[in-house]
Amino acid sequence: MGSSGDARMGCDRPMIADILVAGLVFGSLYGLVAVGFNVLHRPTNVVNFAQGELIMIGAMLMAATPIGGLPWGVAAACVMAIVAVVALVEERVAVTPVLRRSSHAVGWVITTLAFSLLLAEAAGRLWTDQPSTVVPPWPLSMRVQEVLGVRFSSYQVAVVIVAVAVVALLGVLDRSRLGTALRAVAADRDGARLRGVDPTALTRRSFLLGGALAGLTGVLAAPLLLASVTMGLGLLIKGFAALAVGGIGDNRGVLVAGWMLGVIEAAGAVFASPGSQSVVLFAAMLLILLIRPNGLRGLAVQRHV
Amino acid sequence: MSEVRGTRSGAVRRAAPWLAFVAAAAVLPLLSGDPTITYLATTAGIYVLVGTGLNLMFGYTGQVSLGQGALVAVGAYTTGILMADHDWTFWAAAPVAVAVAVGAGTLMALPAFRLSSWYIALVTLGAAMAARSLLVEFEGLTGGWSGLTGIPRPALGPWELGERDILWLVLAVNVMLLVMVRTIVDSRLGRGMMAVRDAPEMAQSVGVAPARMKLFAFACGGGTAGLGGALLAVHHGLVTPDDFTLDFSILFLLVVIIGGAARLAGPIIGTLLFFALPELLTGLAEWRGLIYGAALLVLMVYAPQGIAGAWERLRARRQDSGPPSETFGTDIPVEAGPPRGKPLGVELIGVRKSFGGVRALQEIDLTIEPGTVHAIVGPNGSGKTTLLNVISRLLRQDGGRVILDAEDVSRAPAERLARRGVARVFQTPRLLGASSLRDNVLLGAYPRERAGGPATVLRLPWARREQAELAQEADRLLAGHGLAGRAEEQAASLPHGEQRLLEVARASMARPRLLLMDEPAAGLTPRELESLGRLIRAIRDSGTTVVLVEHHIELVASVADVVTVLDRGRLVTSGPPQEALGDARVVEVYLGAPA
Repeated sequence: MGSSGDARMGCDRPMIADILVAGLVFGSLYGLVAVGFNVLHRPTNVVNFAQGELIMIGAMLMAATPIGGLPWGVAAACVMAIVAVVALVEERVAVTPVLRRSSHAVGWVITTLAFSLLLAEAAGRLWTDQPSTVVPPWPLSMRVQEVLGVRFSSYQVAVVIVAVAVVALLGVLDRSRLGTALRAVAADRDGARLRGVDPTALTRRSFLLGGALAGLTGVLAAPLLLASVTMGLGLLIKGFAALAVGGIGDNRGVLVAGWMLGVIEAAGAVFASPGSQSVVLFAAMLLILLIRPNGLRGLAVQRHV
Repeated sequence: MSEVRGTRSGAVRRAAPWLAFVAAAAVLPLLSGDPTITYLATTAGIYVLVGTGLNLMFGYTGQVSLGQGALVAVGAYTTGILMADHDWTFWAAAPVAVAVAVGAGTLMALPAFRLSSWYIALVTLGAAMAARSLLVEFEGLTGGWSGLTGIPRPALGPWELGERDILWLVLAVNVMLLVMVRTIVDSRLGRGMMAVRDAPEMAQSVGVAPARMKLFAFACGGGTAGLGGALLAVHHGLVTPDDFTLDFSILFLLVVIIGGAARLAGPIIGTLLFFALPELLTGLAEWRGLIYGAALLVLMVYAPQGIAGAWERLRARRQDSGPPSETFGTDIPVEAGPPRGKPLGVELIGVRKSFGGVRALQEIDLTIEPGTVHAIVGPNGSGKTTLLNVISRLLRQDGGRVILDAEDVSRAPAERLARRGVARVFQTPRLLGASSLRDNVLLGAYPRERAGGPATVLRLPWARREQAELAQEADRLLAGHGLAGRAEEQAASLPHGEQRLLEVARASMARPRLLLMDEPAAGLTPRELESLGRLIRAIRDSGTTVVLVEHHIELVASVADVVTVLDRGRLVTSGPPQEALGDARVVEVYLGAPA
């Protein structure tokens, strides 16, 4: 959000446009993080605390040789595959063992958090903590253009489009047979087993998909943010905020919430101070949750006794 | 109280390891001339303090807080600002630090307390991050990145406390806190906390308000973190934002988990292992992040009860477990006290409830007369349990009204009904698995026990007397349900049938005026069924209304005064058992239409 510095002299139109552009672009990233949470949450009722570090690994792989040196499309595919495998490892060591013991306890909060610590530690040993820049693929670029007083780059537009496309694709998937099976497992893990749905297999597939999505988010984020080993935590928390505000399980809701929070954050950086961004974002989230505890659309699931 | 716990020599024996440990820690600086050892021991003591507070939140109440480090920062900075910039004494600054941290802790829990537990983990994590940027942002107050320096030592008049004295102060505070936590955990409050952790709906049904309990736990955790922060500030003499990273918050969670969540000794063991050990073996410090992650993962998967839990299990295995006693069907009359008032009647007017597209209840009008056994029968999915949940307020109806004894409770929460004298037996037993049978029964007395937080912590004589009387009553009830002499056993180790009985005993402990039972007969042997029937009649005869959801038609026919038949969310018929069960429509519901 570096573009805010020169536009500090009042509420003129270009500044508001800058806030909206930055908000939409970063909000798309936050929305994608939250969509990743949703994908994993469906069959397991687990919210993956390692999601931020998975994305970090995606971005770092994109920045590092040898993968970074490959043609962009190939590199992105490799990154998605690698992160998907890492997510599968997480499912094996940190999620399924805990769910096997009890599907209600919150042990997974601790285990996925532990996995995220391990990922951060491994990344810290593998790569330097010097942030590195990643260039967008041809023909997209970060070069700022101005159309009708709105300044944006082609890559920023692409990121928003990809986020919308991902949510649309997941919507199609949701209406398929697989989506129905996922909902069955979410509602009652043991009950689904009786109806010929294998929750473990579905969990594995969801982690592969969620991991690939995290990889994609990392690939998309790399040119926007600097790829660094410490970027995971911020994305995790902002993704969480989008998830909480949008309502868990609601992909369209979390994307819209991501945009909203992105705009609030960008506005906070301009009107308050750049350092207070995270505080403004956090306060906004708390305020929204106080008023609507189940998220904006409030698709709450009632528990049964 | 058990044989060991009750006597004075038993109390001494139980306290002996603790006393020895505190004494050893206290003489440490006298024996070792190395100031680093004293310094480390003081830091470890402060970590134990904060860990014990978190144990109350996480171990006993089940709330994962990732923001404990931020609360310590609040305490440390409050103390630092007051002492360094405003020349307050430590004794005046520390209480303010505690108060501010209690406020911060409560604030942190406030938006999350209506939501599921992982939201609390998220909100506290966000708070930890936001707190750090606030520390840097408000540079004028906090000194920004360079922090606050020149915080003086506490002083008593002209005498300033030295390194050793601070260690002793920390130890004294720890001892007081541990005694307080032990008292809380053994009391009504502690049982309420564990109920919120293990089975929130059950907690509500015995009169515990989960939100208030969580707030209380967060206030306690905030207060101890604030006190820890105050001590840390005068111990270090300076505070900087870098002291309060996310790793610092996670350390406390780790300390509680590795030591043993919901075990008093847990934070002590955890601190010694995960703070003191790497600090002493310098080679390990570099690998700390890796060790944290791996330890959390392995422990949560293989030993969720931590080291203290594993040790207990080891000891329990060595001790000879007594012979399994004669269960259900002992003919000792059940010694439940009289109900707390007249039996309660229920009236439902036009009650509707849907789950998505499924209309579980459709316009139900039903009157349950006080002092009767009212059975609700119907095939699976007919809405029986939903009806029970609406009466007990664990579910809110979409439309219609619920009247309890002339009072409209259509919008009341479940815990308020429990205080009015409604008790509930669940379809699958919901117990405090890790607690003793006695504690499980005592939980039933939650709504009628008078001792609140202050009376408990101060160990007022009347509160202790009340506790002892209730414990005796619980033991009598256990005996009456064929569980005599097993009050100390763990509830989770009981077979299913006995867990059911324990639920009934807990409900009786409430001395309810209305008892709601959800399929109590499922999975019982014929002999057990017979005594269940006797039990239900005895409960009614003592002056309690019983609402019974049941599949077992013979049981229903033998105990019910009125039978209501539901089918697909509609009321089919309601009347005396012979009439209702013989109704042609009921036969059709159960056996299908006649050919």
